[in-house]
Amino acid sequence: MSQSGVSPTPECVDEFNKLKLNREHKYIIFKVSDDKKSIVVEDASAEKDWEVFSGKLRDAGGPRYAVYDVEYSLSSGEGTRNKITFIAWSPDDAGIRPKMLYASSKDALKSSLNGIGAEIQANDEDDIEWSSVVGKVSKGLAG
Amino acid sequence: MAAHNLTSTVQPSDVYGGDEVQAFVLDPGYYFTRAGFAGEDAPKAVQPSFYARINGADQPKDIYGEQYLIPRENLEVRNYMTKDSIVEDWDTAPKFWESLIRNQLLPPRQVAPKQNGLNDIPREDQEGDVEMGDSNGADKTGDTAEDEELKLFEESPLLMTEAPWNTTKNREKSIEMAMEGWGCPAFWISRTPTLVSFAAGKPTALIIDVGAANASVVAVHDGHVLKRSIQKSPVGGLWLSQQVQALWEGNDPKVEPVPFFMVENKAPVDAGAPAQYTARKLGFDISETFRAYEDERLRTEFKESVVEVWRGPTRFMMPGTEEIARNQTPGRVFEFPDGSNHMWRETRYRVAEGMWDDTAQLPNTPDEWKISAEQTLSSLIRNCLSGVDVDLRPNLLGNVVVTGASTLINGFNDRLNIELTQMFPGLKIRIHSAGLSSERRFGAWVGGSILSSLGTFHQMWISRKEYEENGVNIVEKRCK
Repeated sequence: MSQSGVSPTPECVDEFNKLKLNREHKYIIFKVSDDKKSIVVEDASAEKDWEVFSGKLRDAGGPRYAVYDVEYSLSSGEGTRNKITFIAWSPDDAGIRPKMLYASSKDALKSSLNGIGAEIQANDEDDIEWSSVVGKVSKGLAG
Repeated sequence: MAAHNLTSTVQPSDVYGGDEVQAFVLDPGYYFTRAGFAGEDAPKAVQPSFYARINGADQPKDIYGEQYLIPRENLEVRNYMTKDSIVEDWDTAPKFWESLIRNQLLPPRQVAPKQNGLNDIPREDQEGDVEMGDSNGADKTGDTAEDEELKLFEESPLLMTEAPWNTTKNREKSIEMAMEGWGCPAFWISRTPTLVSFAAGKPTALIIDVGAANASVVAVHDGHVLKRSIQKSPVGGLWLSQQVQALWEGNDPKVEPVPFFMVENKAPVDAGAPAQYTARKLGFDISETFRAYEDERLRTEFKESVVEVWRGPTRFMMPGTEEIARNQTPGRVFEFPDGSNHMWRETRYRVAEGMWDDTAQLPNTPDEWKISAEQTLSSLIRNCLSGVDVDLRPNLLGNVVVTGASTLINGFNDRLNIELTQMFPGLKIRIHSAGLSSERRFGAWVGGSILSSLGTFHQMWISRKEYEENGVNIVEKRCK
């Protein structure tokens, strides 16, 4: 349970499972519904270009949650790894109300998604640069 | 959000704090108590947590309200909070809050002109002595208004904030007061670092909160305070005031400020010249506590307009730095209530330096106000982080949130950044602080206000029914 009482719709879990089990999606973007009662899927896509995804967050006009299947190759040459990464996007220039709403509701979504390998709390554009994301997700092991 | 209410017909009847009823949000601190309605951007009432006790009569009498903290015979100034920023005086606290809510949040009561006091001939001993419920006139208007006020308490859920080191016993006292004393339909209590981290959009954050009586550094992870990380010390606003006091006393010539209430009138004088003022004749003795309250107000003004944090890059006590401060930074003039005024240059940095470096405390700091090396902000931060998992540290340092009125001193964030960078080389440091000074002063209140006005928060409140079934320990189970 989150601290706000906002909870995710079953659709959030369904779409997440499609990403996790079937690789149907590369990413999913979630938002709090307009009536501020639940978390819903805003967008889900197989688009692999990170820039397209991060552009959507930047243009969202407020905080969002997202899940992205981050793939990176190890600098040791031992092949590639995938980590399903939870991104809590809350731009510093968003209003205090949406920040509060998303921050206090995050746990409800995150805890309903089983199989998250990494989490990023992103508050400005630097935080959603690919290099920064890969560095955090791989703990510096990406090449 | 909550201010635009829906008609009661669309609300299920078992919803607490839905859109139709505004919750009270109460954020008690050592120096100020903040209260207001959920959903608003700032607390309607911000009142010093001090109150007046009138001694001398058979029974000492307490009066609540800043307007009653005036020079008066037999008046003692008291505070219902402890220096640890928790509530301990459970006899006084509910009365203080009730008076604050009645007098500052609720609309003024309609009273018949005969009884409203405006037409009374002032009598000397009546100064500030008018209290709620004092009038025996059982006029109908007053009674109805009182009933309505009572109803408001019975209809309004209460969200309180608490220091992360608050005790179980105190939390239970809070819900007991709300449920038994006020008849609230629902209650919630939130820890201040959690509220501040949410309001910054960072459920994982390092919260640096420098208030009046305490400075604290606390790690919050996914919205939960990490108990082992909690660090606090007295190096807050009151401590800084003592440094100011030590500065005045150690100055040549010694500065002995006359508080505002002692000055009848004054003439302008040149900087450094003796004051020319007429002292007010009161005809009675002023208590030490009232004098201390007034002195603190003056020191606060000095802190706000003169004191600055030395931005670095070298610490102020490094050889040569003081000269740089003296020769290369602008001085500030401060005029005391009696009209005397002085220029302050490098010393205005020195007074705040002890926050970071205990060796910089002024040598004439009274023993009871001296802090140890382990009590500086720098040490609090280091100790806080050594209490958390190594993997979490980069996330915390990348999400430092600064709050509390004492962090509004110029230069605070710049210096904090330098201290953190030197302490944790190679890690990315990012400091966030609300741009609006009101959000920095009332950060926890604003967080509580928004949280409790969310449409879904009615699921969170501890309802009266739950309280009646489980008793006071429900608060430990639910408000984690």
